[in-house]
Amino acid sequence: MLSLVDVDLGYNQQIILPKVNLSFKANEHVAILGPSGVGKTTLLHHLYQQLAEQTCLCSQAQGLVDNLSMYHNVFIGGLARYSRWYNLANLLLPFNKPQQQIAAICQQLELTVPLQQKVSELSGGQRQRVALARALFQQQSVFMGDEPFSALDPLMGLRLLNLIKQTHQSVICVLHDAELALANFDRIIVISDGKVVLDDKAGQLSLAHLSQHYALADSPKHAVA
Amino acid sequence: MIAYSRYSFVGHWQKITLLLLLMVSVCWFFADTEVIALDPWSELGRMWQGFVHPDFFATEYLLDALWQTISFALFGITIGLLLGFPLALWYQHPLVAAMCAFIRAIHEIFWALIFLQIFGLSAITGILAIALPYAATFARVFADILQQAPMHTLFSLPKGTDKLSAFIYGRWMHMYPQIVDYIRYRFECALRSSAVLGFIGMPTLGFYLESAFRQGHYQQGGALLILFVLLIGSIRFWAKPIMLWLYLPLAVYFLPPIPVIDSQLIWRFISVDVLPPMLQGQPFLSWFDTDKLAQLVNWSYTLISQQVFPGMVATLVLAFCALGLTHVLTLVLLPFNTRLMMPKVVILIMRAVNLILRSLPEYLLAFVFMMLLGPSMLPAIIALALHNSGLMVFLMSRQADSVSVPLTYRPRIDQYSYLVLPAIYPHFMGLLFYRFEVIIRETAILGMLGVMTLGFYVDSNFSEIRFSGALLLLVFTAGLNVVVDYLARRLLHYPRNRLQAC
Repeated sequence: MLSLVDVDLGYNQQIILPKVNLSFKANEHVAILGPSGVGKTTLLHHLYQQLAEQTCLCSQAQGLVDNLSMYHNVFIGGLARYSRWYNLANLLLPFNKPQQQIAAICQQLELTVPLQQKVSELSGGQRQRVALARALFQQQSVFMGDEPFSALDPLMGLRLLNLIKQTHQSVICVLHDAELALANFDRIIVISDGKVVLDDKAGQLSLAHLSQHYALADSPKHAVA
Repeated sequence: MIAYSRYSFVGHWQKITLLLLLMVSVCWFFADTEVIALDPWSELGRMWQGFVHPDFFATEYLLDALWQTISFALFGITIGLLLGFPLALWYQHPLVAAMCAFIRAIHEIFWALIFLQIFGLSAITGILAIALPYAATFARVFADILQQAPMHTLFSLPKGTDKLSAFIYGRWMHMYPQIVDYIRYRFECALRSSAVLGFIGMPTLGFYLESAFRQGHYQQGGALLILFVLLIGSIRFWAKPIMLWLYLPLAVYFLPPIPVIDSQLIWRFISVDVLPPMLQGQPFLSWFDTDKLAQLVNWSYTLISQQVFPGMVATLVLAFCALGLTHVLTLVLLPFNTRLMMPKVVILIMRAVNLILRSLPEYLLAFVFMMLLGPSMLPAIIALALHNSGLMVFLMSRQADSVSVPLTYRPRIDQYSYLVLPAIYPHFMGLLFYRFEVIIRETAILGMLGVMTLGFYVDSNFSEIRFSGALLLLVFTAGLNVVVDYLARRLLHYPRNRLQAC
């Protein structure tokens, strides 16, 4: 699907990850792990730009528009499918069809608040699910997420991850929960010290392997978030 | 152990503040601040009596004047928006930005004086005088506001989204409330501008105000002022966006009949009147004769050395003194205006004081102070500072109220200085320097009161029907504004939130 060969990654002419070599196949579920500030997001954004035609991105910044309703925020995922006039008219008076589709998505994501609620009035976990809903509404084959479940409780996070896996061919996620990654992804990439230090099948790895490459929190599940 | 100099704690904003105060004290030294006591008390007493016993029925066309004031402001804002929105989208283009800077730099009252020559005392003059500079301001502020929209929504938009949808959903909707807020605030400014246009003869409140004060009819003047303050203070009750659909058609319907525009007059103005005297009525090719050119150079040199230069110096001195006083006044008044220092009752009273300070046209304030203190720069400085600090306190108190403080916070001046002031000071300074540009523009009106700023020379050129001289002065006035704006932008990093233009 995509191969990076000796690519220098960074922003503002500052290279964070020099000479990256990675390739991604379709139908793969990849988790990217590593300590904070090491360039995981930079890598993900680069991948997104390469595959933007077929990818939805659920970034950490979420990109929610606070002044719009939950419905409109999710609808943004579908902007490219409709004409500009349809989009504008929908801003003034929502159409029925997308409303039903979006209501269904929100139900799957366990978002029980009314669609017309402004997102500025939602909690952190609800906002994260609105961002996920927008990604789902894009109806793409590749899902890329930057810690897309970080504000959710672990069980709900797992349910939504499975939903994402069902609805997308390929999934590439930056995560901080190493256990979630080991148990639910095919492949683990660890980035540390400005390079890819580990890239292997998840089935062959354990927490002990990962902790050789970067300091894992002792018990991430019980740590106070 | 590392020994720190005590001065190494003097931070960026302290340095800028010190620099500002230094500049102000230098300017204060050169400013004419002599107090000439004229025994003003009897006059002031009568003025006070006028406010205590206002006569609301003395003005013959009171309702008419009120309605005209509102309708000029409405039209001005509407046309300003129609022009300003598209300009905001093109604002990145340096030519558009430069053109807007130039238009904005000339005060409404000067635009009115120019249009007065072309359209006479018609409604078009008043409306255009507001619409034009407001459009330029809208363009700049909207461009600034839209630039603040977070980029991450645009980044993660689905590939292939058309430009218009991306702009509306990804940018516009992010900043929509700020834009509406700004328009509402600008409407308040437009009401003030509209009233001020009365000073040069438009049929708005200012016209009746000025004549009442000039003739010493203080009961009438007091009533008009009270009405004006109430009008501005109650904006949010009567100027709801939905009401505009009612007001605008009414404004169109009740527009005073517009006299026929005499195209010959316009042609004469742009082809003859605006030319320097030695070129008027001369064939175009003869303009470049050496003796004509020599006369032209001579003419501009005289004008620049005798009017532009002294006017510019006086303008800057006046503006700097007013800026310094505004800084001090705002800092002193701010603690009385925030819920983090004062109980609700005090804040309510201060709100009223602020409203009066910022609604009163500087021109009238200066007029009153001139009676008290005699003719010098001092009345103008105080008037500008009072008006501007009223506005600054109004804007900054909202900022201060939104600062989040720890639960242990107690409303004491020390805690305020540690926890609140540092949080808002950068914004405060940015706002203050932005006001500098505004103050320079406002010195224009005070020029008409006889303070010898650039505005004074522009006004006298207009009244002596020397349009060419007036236009040359205006070009320099605009140039000064553009330069000051540019320098301030370079020196300071302005806060991006510029809901403070007026």
